[in-house]
Amino acid sequence: MSLNKNFSSDGKLFTIQIKGKFDFNLVQAFRSAYSEIGDKTPKVIIDLRETDYMDSSALGMLLNMKKSLGDSVSSIQIANCKPQIKKILQISRFDKKFDID
Amino acid sequence: MRILVVDDQALNCTLLKFMLEQESHEVFCVSNGKEAVEQFSGINPDIVLLDVMMPVMDGYEAAPLIKKQASDVYLPIIFITALDDQKSLTRCLEVGGDDFISKPFDKIILSAKIKAHTRTRELSQKSFEQKKLLEFHQNEVQREHEIVEHIFKNALVEHLKVPDIIDYHLSPASMFNGDLFLVSPSPIGGLYIMLGDFTGHGLAAAIGALPTSKIFYSMAHKGLTVGEIASELNSMLSDLLPGHMFCAATILEINKSGRSVNAWLGGLPEGYILDEIGQVKRELESQHMALGILESYEFEDTIVHFEVENTDRILVFTDGIIEASDPNDEFFGEERVLEIMSCSRQAKIEDVVNAVYEFTGDIEQQDDLSLALIRCKATPLPDDEHRTFCQIPITFNIKLEHQQLKTSDPVVQFVDLVCSIEGASEHRSNLFLLLSEAYNNALDHGILGLDSQGKDTEDGFYEYYIQRAEVLSQLNSGFLNFTASYLPEDQNVVFTIEDSGKGFCTKLSHNADNKAHSHGRGLGLMEEIASGVSYNDVGNKIKINYCLNERANNA
Repeated sequence: MSLNKNFSSDGKLFTIQIKGKFDFNLVQAFRSAYSEIGDKTPKVIIDLRETDYMDSSALGMLLNMKKSLGDSVSSIQIANCKPQIKKILQISRFDKKFDID
Repeated sequence: MRILVVDDQALNCTLLKFMLEQESHEVFCVSNGKEAVEQFSGINPDIVLLDVMMPVMDGYEAAPLIKKQASDVYLPIIFITALDDQKSLTRCLEVGGDDFISKPFDKIILSAKIKAHTRTRELSQKSFEQKKLLEFHQNEVQREHEIVEHIFKNALVEHLKVPDIIDYHLSPASMFNGDLFLVSPSPIGGLYIMLGDFTGHGLAAAIGALPTSKIFYSMAHKGLTVGEIASELNSMLSDLLPGHMFCAATILEINKSGRSVNAWLGGLPEGYILDEIGQVKRELESQHMALGILESYEFEDTIVHFEVENTDRILVFTDGIIEASDPNDEFFGEERVLEIMSCSRQAKIEDVVNAVYEFTGDIEQQDDLSLALIRCKATPLPDDEHRTFCQIPITFNIKLEHQQLKTSDPVVQFVDLVCSIEGASEHRSNLFLLLSEAYNNALDHGILGLDSQGKDTEDGFYEYYIQRAEVLSQLNSGFLNFTASYLPEDQNVVFTIEDSGKGFCTKLSHNADNKAHSHGRGLGLMEEIASGVSYNDVGNKIKINYCLNERANNA
């Protein structure tokens, strides 16, 4: 379980990558990751390619992020989900609130 | 030297033998051509002194037969002759003679001629040995190349299953290719593509291709990011390659829909995004130094991200294409490449390759030529393999006391346990979700007695987890029972989680959508994913049914 974040070289893309388990254990790390976004209104990608597990606390964290960032980012995309993770997001109707790739 | 004297006159033989033995040669005498031919291989002479006129077989007849028996080393045949008419002498040379010595013999001339022919013989012997040695080495190198070629073929070419959305061309300047083109499907759909160009060409350049492909494929199979792949390749290559060698590379990841691309660009000439009529939409300019130069701590794994249309194409190539030069040393250049790609919708990379060959004419190919054109189409997920399910019933029981609840987060261990049942591991994520929700509900509400009301606001959400950690750390009673039982008849697993709490109310409505509240979503999710979720009367024991065979589920 870990979280990585980085800006693309042009500063237009902010990526948060979550490895392993996405649950309440990441509450603090996740919140502080998106608090650094600043005022360049980048596009945010939550890259879940290495996320094997998530539960409803992760969904809560994603919603909180969306509320908190508001217009300070151009869009939030949840990307590279494994099929089962994608299904969890779809069941939760997250496709209506996020751009799920 | 071993000298064979062939003369029917015993006096000549004796005389020659005497004179030559004084010069410390070993001398053998036979009395006609037939004997010379028959005994040749036994005597194995270095020089033959051959009389012309002899009974049984004369010198003219014997000379070609003797030469024929001599191996690849030059064997001088010196005719002993009293003849001095031009015709006879010419004939001697024609049948393979190399020189003459006239009767009566002059000791000084004989000695000089033998010395001269000895030198020639020795030179020939030396060059014959060198030739043999060279042949041996050539065979050795050939054999080694064949082995290496075999390995390369198996490691690189056989592995390369290129989907039909990619056209590529690789033409090495020598037997081994210092350019490298790798494609691998991603476990989450989509493709990874790498075009690399090692310094130089030939075997030395190609040698880095083996570990590179191994790392690329293994990381691609895990679905890692292009930045991570680049970083790993860089650290391997900087350890492996000598200082003056490196690998310029473009590593691309195209997602499942074919609309989103991540690229790590290090040291290759610019790539291009072309629209359907071949116009450049975007240039992919190199952002980084080539792989294998920087130390890990200096390396940058930042990537370029861009969106494309499904009609777009990505064109990448190595410098061999644009630096191919014509007889006047003019480069082929990017402009010509782009011009060809834009002159027709059907323009193919073969058109570029043919144009390069036409441009360079008879000039030998200087560098490896590689280019690839990737159509940005959707790529489906790799096919699911046929699955089998466990044939025996299995039950797990775990009881956790408050000490263990305090210090461990056992959900992943529960999942691992259940996944040891054959057929369950594909369901890892779902099993985690179900068990995580059930376990955390039992712990948070049943045992710790927390209330989720405050979770509605962002701050409340975080406070909830802070409070949870605090209450958990002070826990000094309570327990939790986890059971899982699998029945092979219907490939169904039944989980129960029972807590020592009073039981919580289940009449509250739980809905997966739940008006964007940050909590209360869990139960709805569980109901969607499991085939059944129920509670006992008190509400301190949840029972979840989950079927491992989705096909049976759908039926």
